[in-house]
Amino acid sequence: MNIANSTELICFLVLSIIVITGSLGVVLLSNIVYSAFLLGGVFMAVAGLYLLLNASFVAAAQVLVYVGAVNVLILFAIMLVNKKEELKPIKGLQIRKVLSAGVCAGLLALLIRVDLTTPWNLPGPSAIGEKATERIGEHLFTDYLLPFELASILLLMAMIGAIVLARRDVLVNDVGTGESVDQGLIEKTTNPILIDKRSTS
Amino acid sequence: MAAPENLINLSLNAAAVAPEGVVLLAMLGTLIVDLAGEKAAAKWSPPISYLGLGTALILLGFQWNGPLEPSFLGSFLADNLAIAFRAVIALSTLISLLISWRYAEQSGSPVGEYAAILLAATLGAMLLCGSTDLVSVFVSLETLSVASYLLSGYMKRDARSSEAALKYLLVGSAAAAVFLYGASLLYGISGTTNLEAIGIALIDSPTPLAALALVFVLATVAFKIAAVPFHQWTPDVYEGSPTPVVAFLSVGSKAAGFALAVRILIGCFDAFDTQWKLLFTVLAVLSMTLGNVVALAQTSMKRMLAYSSIGQAGFVMIGLVCGTEDGFASMILYMAAYLFMNLGAFACIILFSIRTGSDRISDYAGLYQKDPLITLGLSLCLLSLGGIPPMIGFFGKIYLFFAGWADKQYLLVVVGLITSVISIYYYISVIKMMVVKEPQEASEVVNSYPLIQWKTIGLPPLRIALVTCVVVTAVGGILSNPLFQWANSAVAGTPLLQQVIALAGERSIG
Repeated sequence: MNIANSTELICFLVLSIIVITGSLGVVLLSNIVYSAFLLGGVFMAVAGLYLLLNASFVAAAQVLVYVGAVNVLILFAIMLVNKKEELKPIKGLQIRKVLSAGVCAGLLALLIRVDLTTPWNLPGPSAIGEKATERIGEHLFTDYLLPFELASILLLMAMIGAIVLARRDVLVNDVGTGESVDQGLIEKTTNPILIDKRSTS
Repeated sequence: MAAPENLINLSLNAAAVAPEGVVLLAMLGTLIVDLAGEKAAAKWSPPISYLGLGTALILLGFQWNGPLEPSFLGSFLADNLAIAFRAVIALSTLISLLISWRYAEQSGSPVGEYAAILLAATLGAMLLCGSTDLVSVFVSLETLSVASYLLSGYMKRDARSSEAALKYLLVGSAAAAVFLYGASLLYGISGTTNLEAIGIALIDSPTPLAALALVFVLATVAFKIAAVPFHQWTPDVYEGSPTPVVAFLSVGSKAAGFALAVRILIGCFDAFDTQWKLLFTVLAVLSMTLGNVVALAQTSMKRMLAYSSIGQAGFVMIGLVCGTEDGFASMILYMAAYLFMNLGAFACIILFSIRTGSDRISDYAGLYQKDPLITLGLSLCLLSLGGIPPMIGFFGKIYLFFAGWADKQYLLVVVGLITSVISIYYYISVIKMMVVKEPQEASEVVNSYPLIQWKTIGLPPLRIALVTCVVVTAVGGILSNPLFQWANSAVAGTPLLQQVIALAGERSIG
């Protein structure tokens, strides 16, 4: 094993340990701010793994999108929702935790088993390094053109939806009749408000 | 992939997605008229969306039996199967929109954006039906899902609607992540994202890995069609979402899920057909049993229809498991029949809730005295859902069971028959509630029933949708021959299905 290989191995081990402990911390810590920062660390370490695979464009995109946008957004959300609330303890939380841990452990065991029994055809395709950006661009405008264009519709619709959900003004009057509206679902489970309104008016 | 110098000469064959293009134009049109204010949106969004969806349906008709060339370099294929499912989805959106306007206006939600988001969901669902590439499958699946989350949370002043949206978002994102995991394994096995190429690579690939990918992908499909045990989100989301949205989710979104199932399971996992058929048999038996049994205990109309839709998905899965010519045709036929009968039922319960503000089954007591139209329409649609002759649902169901029996799926057919009987019980009990009760036994809601009038803006389209669905449900059964032919030619015009049918035939002979 030469120096290049051993350096790569050491980098891989360090990054993997960061990813695993970091994501365990994200899930297990009860302070949500720690979780958010740890998540940023995990994203960075994943970007490092991409770099090790010689995929520099994907690594840069990972840092820009996940660390720069998603993680910052999460931190903003935590900052804005600064409300202390006493939540009711959930019944049987311990049992649920044990159960879900069991399911996850089972899934992990399954994945490890499949990983070890599969004859991977190694080494995989060699990385193209700097040409990757060019290749991604070619793909986006040839065989992935349809999903690429559809993604823009997805983003447009997500943006409109977010604005609709976030804006404060809900109409006060029915556009058709001019009556004041019932701002919620029309079906009421317990007391039908609409009827009361009509019978009194 | 082509080399750079050949890129100029590539033929995209983009005409295949012309119907989706029209839907996109309609979506942008509704957004633009919405800029002019709520009054203009309420006036112009409906005609724009009718025009868009109507044109899309006509264009789909022109594509029928057209020359089969993959478009967008193998991302999309407009075979007859895709066209049939896309037509079902576009039609379900059209009818959902017809029954939505009054509901949206009465609850004070912006109408223009509502139409735009619903059209975006349609666009995603329609593209999903024809996608033949993992990347386009995923992106169109996400377009459909994200739009559905937004729609189910559309009544933001109501906590139930927000809860439904949050639940749907969390469970749906988990399902999308699982799908991505499966898709990455598939890419790892085959080195390509094209479904056909993956199918070829899977023939001689390591079994445990491919089986794992199969389970992951199957979980997403089952989530989309709400098969037990991936159904937990359904009742809550259906109960909390605005009713017109539920109408779309129960038909349009489900049809897209079945199209995805056909594309992935038959197009890609054909080498594993014993395995996925076994898994799907289990899912179908569980769905039919649990959906129909739990529906017995419901007191809310929407929740009852949610569980009944789980059961109905189980029936449709019989056709998919068969894998014969009749199996696929019966699946498509039942999906089309389900479109009319389910949307007819939803039109009736929406009209009832607009007039009374109630959704409880007990509040329907004695309704025939006050509102014969709702009573008649809901009775016919529920009878059809239960599979009573001579409604369209009876012929759909009998065809499914016939196909299952011919393919020796005795367990599925027997479970289907027993659960059909159970379902008839709870459908009939609603009808009994409406029709049999004496005037003095009528519920308070029915006693204070408002005067029937159709003049309010948004009510005439609702009436058109209701009457159309009910007429098709009632008469379609007797005149079902064109539908049978349509479903059969959909299967005949799909090379993918023909291949599988031929293979199955060889196996049974050899």
